[in-house]
Amino acid sequence: MATSQANVFTVVSKFYDEYVTTTPQRLKIIDAYLAYIMLTGIFQFGYCLLVGTFPFNSFLSGFISCVASFVLAVCLRVQVNPQNRKDFLHISPERAFADFVFAHIILHLVVMNFIG
Amino acid sequence: MASRVLIVLLAALVGVHAGGRTLVLLDNLAIKESHSVFFKSLADRGFDLTFKTADDSSLALIKYGEFLFEHLIIFAPSVEEFGGNLDTSALTEFIDGGGNILVAASSEIGEPIRELASECGVEFDEEKTAVIDHLNYDLADEGQHTLIVADPENLIDVKNIVGAKRDTPILFRGVGMVADTDNPLVLDVLTGSSTSYSFYPDEKVSEYPHAVGKNTLLVAALQARNNARVVFTGSLELFSDEFFTAAVQKALAGAQKHDKSGNEAFALALSRWVFKEEGVLRGGVVSHHRKGEQEPPTAYTVMEEVVYSIVIEQLVEGKWVPFDANDVQLEFVRIDPFVRTTMQRKGGKFVAEFKLPDVYGVFQYRVDYNRLGYTHLFSTTQVSVRPFTHTQYERFIAAAYPYYASAFSMMFGLFVFSLVFLHHREDTKEKAE
Repeated sequence: MATSQANVFTVVSKFYDEYVTTTPQRLKIIDAYLAYIMLTGIFQFGYCLLVGTFPFNSFLSGFISCVASFVLAVCLRVQVNPQNRKDFLHISPERAFADFVFAHIILHLVVMNFIG
Repeated sequence: MASRVLIVLLAALVGVHAGGRTLVLLDNLAIKESHSVFFKSLADRGFDLTFKTADDSSLALIKYGEFLFEHLIIFAPSVEEFGGNLDTSALTEFIDGGGNILVAASSEIGEPIRELASECGVEFDEEKTAVIDHLNYDLADEGQHTLIVADPENLIDVKNIVGAKRDTPILFRGVGMVADTDNPLVLDVLTGSSTSYSFYPDEKVSEYPHAVGKNTLLVAALQARNNARVVFTGSLELFSDEFFTAAVQKALAGAQKHDKSGNEAFALALSRWVFKEEGVLRGGVVSHHRKGEQEPPTAYTVMEEVVYSIVIEQLVEGKWVPFDANDVQLEFVRIDPFVRTTMQRKGGKFVAEFKLPDVYGVFQYRVDYNRLGYTHLFSTTQVSVRPFTHTQYERFIAAAYPYYASAFSMMFGLFVFSLVFLHHREDTKEKAE
């Protein structure tokens, strides 16, 4: 038991070390952004469990805004990751970011429309 | 738009004036004399009476596709076959066309009358039978106990049909009937007492009688679904001058003596009902709108307060006057009623105010007023009810502020992230160099 716990700890610490040393700074920024989105989403879900579903459209748009932002950010992360370069040869990081911003404009228009 | 509203007013199809052309079919013209009081009262009320014998070869109800008469009186119980082109199918066609019929039978009842009755859900007993009541017969009875004294308690409790309440009994001598239990439109206007039955007066009762006790109908009425009215009485003598003026006393010790029978009042009330002088309703202008407005909208929105009103009029002495009742209900129907409310009378109109249900779809305002003694009033008005439009939902709800904040923080986060992300790329480039 103790050994397995130690194993897990070593795995986690090794993972953390590798993340800190080898992940590009740019991806770390995206990860921080993702963490922020996730916390906001969890907060909204908890609030909804606490006070009930009214007003449901506001909850939906707030929560879906988080989920969609998360998905878009993940897409951006995948496209700008140097390890995936060979999969996205024809998409430059600048193009990926432009797509990301465009999708966000559409998303936030819809969210504002629906939030009530 | 009022023109877009579908309005169906079936009740307006009923006749609008008292009186009318009436064909009277008699066994023989002597009946015209022996029933003169009854016929005179009809003539005085504006009926245009045409007397014919029932086997007259020129009889016709329809000519060139138009009804020649609005009402028909058949005081010809013993007729074996009508003359001219009158037969049961012509009579039922007359009823289907809205004509009213008053039929009086007697113990000499013939086949055509019986057929007409069975078309209308009433079954007469055999020829030569009579209603017999060994406890409620008149002093003047000749020993067969067939001159029945019918208590006014056995009358149907509908003022429109039998007139105001009286305590004078009704003399009856004739054939009994039973109503078809499957026919909900037949009304038991006058029933025999619980001791009455219908059989051959001169024979021993060897089999179960056709009608026994309260099931024995002395007078039956039918108001068809098109508001045509048909009345069957088992006794022609009920309408006779002799019975109108006869004194009535039950042949029991200590029975109360009435100097004049209730026949005249009953017969006149009955004829007023059957010939559409009483209990005729019509629906008039229907209007509906949102509370506080005047015009109907093209579509209502769920949960709005609405006002519906309908003009209902009653025919009284040949004139349409506002109907007076407190039990007229309005239904708001989408297959099932979602709202059912009693309407209030306000200045000749019936008005209902209610809140639309939180359900959208195509609805009908429906007034379905079906009461004994009155013509059937049915009015529907179709309207659409739509859900809230996009802009009609409540805004800036306090409970939703966390969601608003989250949505804006997503935008703000995007903005900050974009700044950092774009700037950072330059840093890494410098580092890479």
